[in-house]
Amino acid sequence: MKLDLANPAWRQTLPPARTVAADAPVAACAFSRDGATAAFALGDGSVRSIPADIAVSAPAPNPPVHGGAVLALVGDPAGDGFISGGDDGRLLRLGADGAATELVNQKGKWVEHLAAHRTGAIAAAIGKNAFVIKDGEVREFGPHQSTVADLDFSKDGSRIACAHYGGVTVWSIGQVTLPPRRFAWRGSHVALRWSTDGKFIATGTQENDIHVWRMAQATDMRMQGYPAKVKSLSWTADARFLYTSAQPVFTAWPFSGKGPEGKPPLQFGEEGAGLLAVVAAHPAAEFVAGGYDSGELQLGDIKTRRSVVLRMADGSAITCLAWSPDGYKLAVGNEGGALLVVDLKR
Amino acid sequence: MAQAQVPVTVLTGYLGAGKTTLLNRILSEQHGKKYAVIVNEFGELGIDNDLVVNADEEVFEMNNGCICCTVRGDLIRIIEGLMKRKDRFDGILVETTGLADPGPVAQTFFTDDEVKARTRLDAIVTVVDAKHFLGQLEQGDEAEEQVAFADVILLNKTDLVSADELKKVEDKIRSINPFARLHRTQKSQVELGAILDKGAFDLKRILEFEPDFLEHGHDHDHEEEVKSVAFSADRPVDPDKFQKWMGALLQLRGGDIFRSKGVLAIDGAPRRYVYQGVHMMMDSDWGSPWKESEKRSSKLVFIGRNLDGDNLKRGFEDCLK
Repeated sequence: MKLDLANPAWRQTLPPARTVAADAPVAACAFSRDGATAAFALGDGSVRSIPADIAVSAPAPNPPVHGGAVLALVGDPAGDGFISGGDDGRLLRLGADGAATELVNQKGKWVEHLAAHRTGAIAAAIGKNAFVIKDGEVREFGPHQSTVADLDFSKDGSRIACAHYGGVTVWSIGQVTLPPRRFAWRGSHVALRWSTDGKFIATGTQENDIHVWRMAQATDMRMQGYPAKVKSLSWTADARFLYTSAQPVFTAWPFSGKGPEGKPPLQFGEEGAGLLAVVAAHPAAEFVAGGYDSGELQLGDIKTRRSVVLRMADGSAITCLAWSPDGYKLAVGNEGGALLVVDLKR
Repeated sequence: MAQAQVPVTVLTGYLGAGKTTLLNRILSEQHGKKYAVIVNEFGELGIDNDLVVNADEEVFEMNNGCICCTVRGDLIRIIEGLMKRKDRFDGILVETTGLADPGPVAQTFFTDDEVKARTRLDAIVTVVDAKHFLGQLEQGDEAEEQVAFADVILLNKTDLVSADELKKVEDKIRSINPFARLHRTQKSQVELGAILDKGAFDLKRILEFEPDFLEHGHDHDHEEEVKSVAFSADRPVDPDKFQKWMGALLQLRGGDIFRSKGVLAIDGAPRRYVYQGVHMMMDSDWGSPWKESEKRSSKLVFIGRNLDGDNLKRGFEDCLK
């Protein structure tokens, strides 16, 4: 994929985008596996789907599928619909036709975080447990020391890592039950991403730090100095960099070679309004999208160390970003209920 | 969608004191307001409200070298989650378990930036069982600490005790916490205005705190007990000395000092200096200006365990000009 950010067009006009106004905050967004649809998890219990092709007009709002707010959403790795989790304790499979099938119902708990793996497996953080749905079977892992604050699959999809108070627990989700592996670090871990090469697990902590464990040696490192909690982490497709939120510019820790110890992170691009709230590395190329707590949206290129503004600040924090599978479209949602699909093909 | 900070009222009290009755009373009253209710998993009775969240009280130590710095991790998560809903509410009510230490709940609102941005702690309301309170003090530290942290105390079930017994309980409560507003109640019946929208943690409203209990803390008999000590002074306070003293004091003794509040006349400053703290955490600001005719005096109060009143008094007096 080619996106030439040096092209003056980026600075002259904003890229074409479709904006739909919803009447509720957006908690999460995702593209379907076939890339045809972008969907947004809304605070009114509905999942709003919009055609990825911005020339096609958006259909009417979908009726609510969850009792309260939809808190989490991923593309269905086993179909062309979506998987949603809500504060009604339900985990739903939403078909491409919008039909909802209940996968898990844990009344009284919240389904706050989801992960999907291309093998078709889905993982959901519900209370102190992680639920894994694979080949039509639901399995439960836990309980952990506290509520599971985030989770992610390993590269091959054979394990899941759960963040919680006191560290990270890694479970093997194959048919053979193996004891969990624990990676301890004091304090509360609030965000987690497993590196795209499987070698590292990174977490953001309650104390505004980042913690990273090297899986092979079980050694760990800590990066400090953030002014706020790092709640968004994103590894580049080649696992050479880890992008982090909570900075005014794109911030990438280098993980190639000897790793980031003793090195400053790479920081580049235009200083945005406020702090980055969400970062999303491009699925294939060297680009990164960043949404600020001011509503500003930027696209960065680590190769040229440049960034361009895709959307101006409007005071409503960006809450989610998702790249389409082909890497040419970006779905964006904010606290104010704006749903965007940006088309980056120039 | 920028919105005003949602007020949070914390309801605490020993098992069976009447917290849940109070909670249901707040919710059933025709006030036209909408509340989100966060209850503990072991709630005693059913709660009648659309938006009830079951919390498992997850007390987390902050990994920042401050040992008494504990927060309620579940509250941070739940408040963040509630803000993702379309329906907005006028307030959040947090009911703690009967054996909960109110410290971590209060500290959550001082520590977490996002919680601070979205909500404000309005007041800690403690329901006390008039019949069983003195006995509960023997069972452990919880009943005492819940009173120590309170901004508002409901001395409940007064119909179950004699006038004599009631006086004994009230005296005991006052020896622990003389600055909370106390309401005698039966079946948790109280005007909602007495417990909601109190702004007890609002520095602008600290000036309202009543100094009529000053100079109480001189008994050395039961230092391990929770009590309050308060001082006043007519001479102006040296800001540098005060900051140094207070900083060192909270650093060293913050675990034992549950709450502290003060209004100070700083040497040369035209406005009042107000502060308040929960354990080691402190907020301070400049308050209203002194009037020409007004006598400039300073007041401060500590509530905690193992407080050495004389030592604290000397420390404070050393800060005076």
